[in-house]
Amino acid sequence: MGRQVAIVSAGFCEHSSKRSDVNMPELVNEAIRDCLKKVPSLGISDIDAFVTGNMPAFEGANMPELWSTDWMGARNKPLLRVTTGGTTGGTVAIAGYYNVTAGLPGIDTVLAIAYEQQSQGDTSVGLASTAYGEISILNTLGIDYDSLSRILSAGAAIGVAAYQATNYMSKARITEEDLARVVVHNRRMAAKNWWAHLRMPDLTIEEVLDTPYVQYPLRYGMLCPASDGACAMLFTTEEKAKDMCDIPVYVNGVASVANESAVLGYDGSGSAQTDPSAQIGAMRSSELAYSQAGISFPRKEIDYAEVYSPFPNQELMWLEKLGLFEETTAPQMYENGTTALDGDLPVNCSGGVNSTNAIGASAMERPAVAALQIMGKADNQVPKTVHTSIGHGWGGSLNLCTLMVMSDEPKRKWR
Amino acid sequence: MSKLTQRKSLDYIKKDYVRTRTMPGSWYLSSYKFRFNITHHQPMLEKLKEKKLIANQCSGCNRVFFPPRLVCGQCLVKPDRWVDIRDTARVATYAIAYLKNPDTGQVEEKPMILVQHDGADTCSIAELAPGINVKDTYIGMPIKAHWKENATGGLMDIEYYDPIPDDAKDIE
Ligand SMILES: [Zn+2]
Repeated sequence: MGRQVAIVSAGFCEHSSKRSDVNMPELVNEAIRDCLKKVPSLGISDIDAFVTGNMPAFEGANMPELWSTDWMGARNKPLLRVTTGGTTGGTVAIAGYYNVTAGLPGIDTVLAIAYEQQSQGDTSVGLASTAYGEISILNTLGIDYDSLSRILSAGAAIGVAAYQATNYMSKARITEEDLARVVVHNRRMAAKNWWAHLRMPDLTIEEVLDTPYVQYPLRYGMLCPASDGACAMLFTTEEKAKDMCDIPVYVNGVASVANESAVLGYDGSGSAQTDPSAQIGAMRSSELAYSQAGISFPRKEIDYAEVYSPFPNQELMWLEKLGLFEETTAPQMYENGTTALDGDLPVNCSGGVNSTNAIGASAMERPAVAALQIMGKADNQVPKTVHTSIGHGWGGSLNLCTLMVMSDEPKRKWR
Repeated sequence: MSKLTQRKSLDYIKKDYVRTRTMPGSWYLSSYKFRFNITHHQPMLEKLKEKKLIANQCSGCNRVFFPPRLVCGQCLVKPDRWVDIRDTARVATYAIAYLKNPDTGQVEEKPMILVQHDGADTCSIAELAPGINVKDTYIGMPIKAHWKENATGGLMDIEYYDPIPDDAKDIE
């Protein structure tokens, strides 16, 4: 009934707004080399299969997995590509896990690679192209093109997150200062992480609140950047993992759940998710993944969390929806230091998506960092021993969530 | 007001990278034909001409959809019942967009709202009356559709939503 899977390594390339010194395959190669460097006993020939993914419309290159095959070391080996928008990285990681747990003959060690070089193309065009097919129906309902493009401009990723932010803010009764505190937390963490993009060691709440609004309540200083970057993760079987590294990280639960899309809805028919911050998909995915991993008290049993939060309000919301804090209490946890590096539940010590966002790679960087924190090899390592951690991903129109639960013990409940 | 969209960036540790060869190029997308089934919209569009709103209801879960839906995602059945709904609604959620007015070139604050009509279970994107102070917008604000003089049978027949007095009381 499926094999227990372990993560033995994870690697990153340097993230920046414009990695003008490398092209896409070279960028990918950097992350793979960083990943393999951490497992000296393993060569590229020992890898049996590959899983990869990015969002092709963002770079303007179709089928990038074909022209970067050699740079991945995947020539003449099984290669699979998955793309699911914002959660691409999370889905690639889950596909890597599936590949190993399936127990196919000759496939034990799988390299999962996710990447995005946003400086090559236009992300907003890519986003619009994914939304236009859904929205164009409004044209037939008597909404003229001008209003349609206005809705589009207000309905892109920031747009939908702004709705979510006002809902969360009115529910939790918090101010913009609480959002800025989350941003400061992330950016200062990023300063201690060599591969992060927006590294701001001295950022203050006042500086964030001094930037203009992009869409109320989100200010320019609160938004995630657009980065170039790549991430690689190495999955293998329980037996092989023990020879490869000192502390293998076992994947005990995975889930990828979609709820009804918020704000726009399909076919222009609106959304039944009248509260975009309700996030039933996130709750359901945590329920599934925790039950696989045998976690009944997430708040007690999870020591470290990496959540996908391009916007600060989402970080607060996810932590509550994934069962780590009680509803509406997350802002207090940032105030009293629970989520700090030496706190009870350190969160996003890599700087999170708020500091580094290479879209296709972001959702994989979350489980990758969470795994390295258990191994004790993370770049901004928490001082306490991490036994169990989670890596979360988000995408779609506020509706798709991926989750990976990892631990230093093979505690998976199903055998 | 133009200060509203001024990009003021925060300082961060930057690193310069060598610039290698770059080839400029563009991706001209062809024209596409997106296919939709709009039969389920027709009864609603007809009623809009009379300045009345109807929605369809799923017989599985009794949820009321406005605008109408082709399929209920929860039950996987076609909603087959038509119900009347009111033209009063509430603000389900909102955000304030900063948009450039094409005529004056000025950046204006504009609340973008999702409205949930009284009697419907879904919400959709809409606009608030011009002139309304954005600071007064809140979640749960009661509003009423403002109809165009001559309704033509399209969603744009509701030009925008006017706020109406909120008689809700705080729970003691
Ligand atoms: Zn139903």
